Amino acid sequence: MSAHPRTSPALVVWMGATYLFLYAPVFVLAVFSFNDSRLLAVWRGFTWAWYEAALSNHPMLEALRTSLLVAALTTLIATMLGTSAALAVQRGHGRLRSLWDALFLLPILVPEIVVGFASVAFFGWIGLRLGLLTVLIAHVAFSVSYVFFVVRARLATLDPRLEEAAMDLGADPWRVFWKVTVPLLVPAIAASALLVFTLSLDDYVITSFVAGAGTTTLPLRIYSMIKTGITPEVNAISTLLLLATLALMALAFRIEQRGMTRTHLVLAGLILLGLVGFAFGDIAMRRPRATLNVLIWSNYISPRVVRAFEEKTGVSVNIETYDSNEALLAKLQAGVVAYDLIVPSDYMVRILIREDLLQPLDLTRLPNLQHLDPSALRLPFDPTNTYSLPYTRGVTGIGYRTDKIASPIGSWADLWDTRWRGRIVMLDDMREVFGAALKLLGYSLNSTDPEQLRQARDLLLRQKPLVRAYDSANFDQLLLSGEAWIAQAWDGQIIKARRENPHIEFVVPREGTTLVVDNLCIPRSAEHPDLAHDFINFLLDPAVAAENMNDIMYLMPNRSAWPRLRPELQRHPIFSIPPERLRRSEYLQDLGPTTVLYDRYWTEVKLAR
Amino acid sequence: MRGTSANRWLLLAPSLLWMLLFFFLPLGLIVVMSFAERGPYGGVRWTFGLWNYRQAMDPLYLWVYGRSFALAAVTTALCLGISYPVAYYIALRADPKWKNLLLVLSILPFWTSFLLRTYAWIFMLRVEGFVNTMLLALGVIERPISWLLYSDFAIVIGQVYGELPFMILPLYVALERVDVRLMEAAMDLGANRRQVFWRIVLPLTRPGIITGIVLVFIPSFGAFITPDLLGGAKSAVIGTVIQNQFVQRNQPMGSALSVLLILVMFALLLIASRVTRQRGRR
Repeated sequence: MSAHPRTSPALVVWMGATYLFLYAPVFVLAVFSFNDSRLLAVWRGFTWAWYEAALSNHPMLEALRTSLLVAALTTLIATMLGTSAALAVQRGHGRLRSLWDALFLLPILVPEIVVGFASVAFFGWIGLRLGLLTVLIAHVAFSVSYVFFVVRARLATLDPRLEEAAMDLGADPWRVFWKVTVPLLVPAIAASALLVFTLSLDDYVITSFVAGAGTTTLPLRIYSMIKTGITPEVNAISTLLLLATLALMALAFRIEQRGMTRTHLVLAGLILLGLVGFAFGDIAMRRPRATLNVLIWSNYISPRVVRAFEEKTGVSVNIETYDSNEALLAKLQAGVVAYDLIVPSDYMVRILIREDLLQPLDLTRLPNLQHLDPSALRLPFDPTNTYSLPYTRGVTGIGYRTDKIASPIGSWADLWDTRWRGRIVMLDDMREVFGAALKLLGYSLNSTDPEQLRQARDLLLRQKPLVRAYDSANFDQLLLSGEAWIAQAWDGQIIKARRENPHIEFVVPREGTTLVVDNLCIPRSAEHPDLAHDFINFLLDPAVAAENMNDIMYLMPNRSAWPRLRPELQRHPIFSIPPERLRRSEYLQDLGPTTVLYDRYWTEVKLAR
Repeated sequence: MRGTSANRWLLLAPSLLWMLLFFFLPLGLIVVMSFAERGPYGGVRWTFGLWNYRQAMDPLYLWVYGRSFALAAVTTALCLGISYPVAYYIALRADPKWKNLLLVLSILPFWTSFLLRTYAWIFMLRVEGFVNTMLLALGVIERPISWLLYSDFAIVIGQVYGELPFMILPLYVALERVDVRLMEAAMDLGANRRQVFWRIVLPLTRPGIITGIVLVFIPSFGAFITPDLLGGAKSAVIGTVIQNQFVQRNQPMGSALSVLLILVMFALLLIASRVTRQRGRR
């Protein structure tokens, strides 16, 4: 049958093209992990630098550890559960079998997004704290089915006479099970274990819903890294992971082809031991260290500052990120989460206080309070600073590329300019996007007038075809890479991007804008409020604050730190906002029940074509 | 271990309990929640009515369902179109020496991270990405193409790339089973190659085609990662809308959309199984 004389050349070309399609992107990805340039897809020479960065990326390694731990436990539990269920069903008498099949088929069919959504609602409802346990529970729940079907398929092909023979020869059922059935099932169990391990290791969607403080898995970490800017470091991490998977697959393939030899057994054992050692090593080796769980905006704290605190106190700090105040609120409301420090904006502080999600700060434990500028204290959303202290202050504005856009930019209307069609980026933030539209219409950005809101919605619907993306984390990178030319933006990241490309400019629109104060707060459900106080005081230390500002480039109301700022921060555009534009600007306020209307209109804008 | 019935229940109980508690109970919860009302700051008010479903029937949401359906349909069609010749070649034309290797190579990507494979396409399709750079260098275009990333085009490419192995495998299994003698007999009786393909091979592999369609269409229809990363938070599909309802703290509405998504999927599965059965009977 090998002698098929007439295989059309077109078919061969098609094969080649398909395999090229399957492998070229991964290959290119790997090649550019060695590229000595941060942004461009142009070859600039060979470097190991991105691998060094990846391998010394502490949060990334921590996430890998978490992932391996979850995957190992999931595999263990799901394999046991699924195998025993398969045995029970296959050996049972027919009638109920199709019911069980349907039951186990559902988790495979129901979309992950629904499973994640339902799981977090459920965990919130029963009040189970989101963390390692909830991730494990959810992973096992979606994995059992795969084991069930793989093992059951194998069971169906087993020759029952083998077991009968063993029985006839006098073995008791238990012995028959362990000496005959199990050995025959080993390949299927191993295959399903491998499948479950891979699925668990790779799951993003469900995990993103059910993960809590300190259970950031590798996919979660990689996802937020992709969202906040593409660097070859992600390429390096990808390449390492792909190589690891390939090695594992090659081993599995050889075992399947040649059977399990002693070498393979030793090799597989060593790999398993290494993985488990790495995953559990943390628990066994280190004296138990307290972990401070910080939930903060992306690009909002200097890794050097975090490391300095860890070295000073011996505490380990876990940084997780969010991209909008609403996402933060959703996370805090979804279930019981154990974050120790969060950084909500002004109006969100008000909402969190009202929802009883914050605990009072002990100001006597924060001596560095004295360095704060009085103008940033006692603001209307928390007039007594009982729950919050200012971390940064800034403005929303427009960032743009002067080398792409020649005409002067200075109005929100420029984000509606058809000349920049497909090059406009808006923040992925309900209040900010509506704020821009309301200001452009000449209204307050805290409007609760349904008619004004409707007009703002219509304006945004008209803008939608011009918009390239709604993005709150990555807008600076989009400007840098030329993906966007003009973006609604927060000041700090644009000032920072200007260090890499002087053709980037930041401007506050003449209609006025949002004034932002982001605040340090301790959630009611925090597990380490003492550590959180220590960390807040540390962040308020002038030397620390200066280092932090010089890195993230957002300004802090820390007067004692200002003399130590780098020159471009001393000349921050915030200091030169024309007074009438400042007068027209506002802080966002909590709008009470009108929020529901905002939510509905925002959904409409996001859904429109 | 033929075992007693009590024994079997003992074996079945742990997994059954796990699934009931942590899969079916949550699903039941969102079914109940889908009839409830959201509070002004989020949370759920347990007053019941059909308002979420009425809102979901709004043209706005119907458009999202339609769009998700269309994207999934295009993805599935492309996967089928690309995979059939590949599976055909591997199953019927390839040298047996290479057969296994070719098959493994075609499904190997499934074992690598879906997230990273999606990331690979961001890297390829950016304005300053690999595709644009190559085309510029080759002089095919003068200015970088800007609509490659953050577009429906990108979503479909990413989705096809991610789901291809799920189409190739069932097609291969179906084509493997085709008895070559049937084809030879048809040839002997004077059928040309085209007739052999349309009248023999294709009908015989119909179950594989339907399995492939189901395996690709279902995850594409409810997809989240590709639309979110390659579509730029702008192109709404049902997956991103459900996630968005979570961020907007409207769990009742998100629940209603989830329930509808499941219902649509079951309707489609029912149709698929009907089609398979009918063909079998004929």
